[in-house]
Amino acid sequence: MKRGSEVSPGEQWFFYWKTSAALWESQILELPRDEVVFLPLNWGFHAENQNQWDFGEILPERDLFRLASLLTQHNRKFTWLIPLTPSPFLPNGGIPVTTARTLSLSPSGTHLACLDHEGRLHKMFSWYEPKVFQAWAGFLAAFGTYIAKRKIKAPVWGAQFFYKEGSELISFLTDSSVAFEQGFSRYLRKSHPEGIEISEPAREATLKQDFSREVNELFKVTAEAALGPFWAGSQEICVLGAGPRDTLERGLTSGRTQLDFFQDIFELFTKNIWVSSSLLTHEEKKDLLPKALVNHFGQNAAEEKYHYRMHQGELGQDWRPYSVVDVVSARGDAWEKNGLFQFLESNLRWLYSVHKEIPFTTDAIESSSHKIKFFHGSTLDRTAFGQMLKLFLMGQRVVLDKSGLPSDLEKRLQVFFIENNLKVQNVNYLTSINLTDLGDGKLITFEGDQLSGKDTTEFWKNIFRFIRMTLPEVIMDREVFGLWNIRATGNSDLNYLDVRRINLYNPTSYKKLVTIRTHKHFAFMKMVDPERAQAKSTPDGVQVELLPNGTVALDFGHFEEN
Amino acid sequence: MSLHLIYYFQSSQNQNESWTPARYKVVHFFGDEGFVPDAKLSELAKSDPHADYSDLTFLSLDDLKSFANRVAGDLGSESVRLLSVQDYNIGLDGARDRKELKEIFVKYGETVETLVPSKKKGLFGKLFS
Repeated sequence: MKRGSEVSPGEQWFFYWKTSAALWESQILELPRDEVVFLPLNWGFHAENQNQWDFGEILPERDLFRLASLLTQHNRKFTWLIPLTPSPFLPNGGIPVTTARTLSLSPSGTHLACLDHEGRLHKMFSWYEPKVFQAWAGFLAAFGTYIAKRKIKAPVWGAQFFYKEGSELISFLTDSSVAFEQGFSRYLRKSHPEGIEISEPAREATLKQDFSREVNELFKVTAEAALGPFWAGSQEICVLGAGPRDTLERGLTSGRTQLDFFQDIFELFTKNIWVSSSLLTHEEKKDLLPKALVNHFGQNAAEEKYHYRMHQGELGQDWRPYSVVDVVSARGDAWEKNGLFQFLESNLRWLYSVHKEIPFTTDAIESSSHKIKFFHGSTLDRTAFGQMLKLFLMGQRVVLDKSGLPSDLEKRLQVFFIENNLKVQNVNYLTSINLTDLGDGKLITFEGDQLSGKDTTEFWKNIFRFIRMTLPEVIMDREVFGLWNIRATGNSDLNYLDVRRINLYNPTSYKKLVTIRTHKHFAFMKMVDPERAQAKSTPDGVQVELLPNGTVALDFGHFEEN
Repeated sequence: MSLHLIYYFQSSQNQNESWTPARYKVVHFFGDEGFVPDAKLSELAKSDPHADYSDLTFLSLDDLKSFANRVAGDLGSESVRLLSVQDYNIGLDGARDRKELKEIFVKYGETVETLVPSKKKGLFGKLFS
């Protein structure tokens, strides 16, 4: 496959409008047979005029039925991606030329514009213009009717595009243009017909957030309603190099470094956010970056993300991402204030993931039973609270920061302890901690707000000591990156409990050393696909030398779980 | 070698009997080698007693220019091009590609020559993040 070409800019996306329809078939034949093809819809491209949408009657490059037929004919699985926000890889952000009126404004006051993989500058237009919504809803209705009439049986996913600015993830729907302000005024008049006086800037900011959230939801609900049986859900996708600062940096002679992109993709991996490298040029997507993207955002990950397959509870022969901690998001920066994120970054880097919620399905529960689940009182409702207690009863390890826990749930927790005749051990160390055991299950509760401003390193060390985890210890520089995978043992393996693989990358121009200590629970099995890298066994484990742009995967057999 | 500074002008505000003076905020400060680290900018803003160094805001355009000059001098750059967010947006509106994006600063920026000739040439690249 021609990865990184104009038509296939990464993550198995296919930009059908970038090539002549006559070349679609040959381009499709170059795609690997087993990979799902993602078709982002360039909806503005289908606008013939304000009320007419063309799907091939006028321009062959708009003939989505022919495109779908070719994919089906060549046994390719495919998925449509309908933008629910401005799309940074499309001219005008995807909006038809006739509807593009007000340029979108970033939080710093600059217009939002993104450099694409061919060096073209795409300006984002505001989606708060009523005409944009009308046009977009018109396209949805026409597209929904078209795929139903033509019986194109492929799922449609909504795509919410984001950019990264520092550590913040910002939606492309975020806007402070005149169109947004006018929309906000209309929203206030409708939601407060009696009138409202806003004197506090903080109150105004909250109301604007509510408005943005409602508009975001409106786009999602409208797409779901219009596409009915084809609708599969929505995905949050962070487009690399798309932020206002990134655009400036990518325009400079030096450009953005590979290290910058590595930092972005690994942080996004931890936050469970899908990435798109569609804006990156050949020059930017060189050396190690394509390998890391294929390894961690490639076919297997895409199939899981887009529900082509779900991981079963039991491990299989396929590698799957391995992490040991699931953190459910808290309101504000509560996990930073109590020191958890800092601890995880220092001690379990890339072995944790952050979720808005934890799915409570049998497969999800079983496949993540080894993970320690962190909940925060500020974001728990009755349902999530009940599910959290059930996880503990099922033998899982659960940690609850009780700050912000509603009083009725606090009472329910006390009743739960009594009803289940649980012995609660109280420890006072920096804050009040309650420890409870039930079979394999462990439940730890603490008052996190009392930890704010304190050095919590020892606190978290003690919590993790109580929980007990068996992991290889990886000692490496902050500029070396590594992600773990896991699989069941195969026929050719020794009698291990499971097999773990770490993929290591050195995106810098310096030589780096990595030490992995196996702590008598892991056996070094083999080195896989070394490129500018060497590994040697030591009495403690393995020592790896990574030259600039070096990468290697190391397999370890896991034995003797105590 | 030149540096570029994009700033945002915020007019004075009177809200709930509290008055905030007009100010000039640094939005982006960068050169061909990359962005000037925030820590370096804060450190150099500290010498202006009226500036809010944590937020990189200045009370007048002259203060902002002096600050830009200090940064340029410190990094060994001969000049800084100052550009308001409004002018940047006008330039962005007309730019179509990477080349035209770079030209915005030449076309619309106001050049401030560094007063003190620098002795730190060569260190420029090392200071960028």
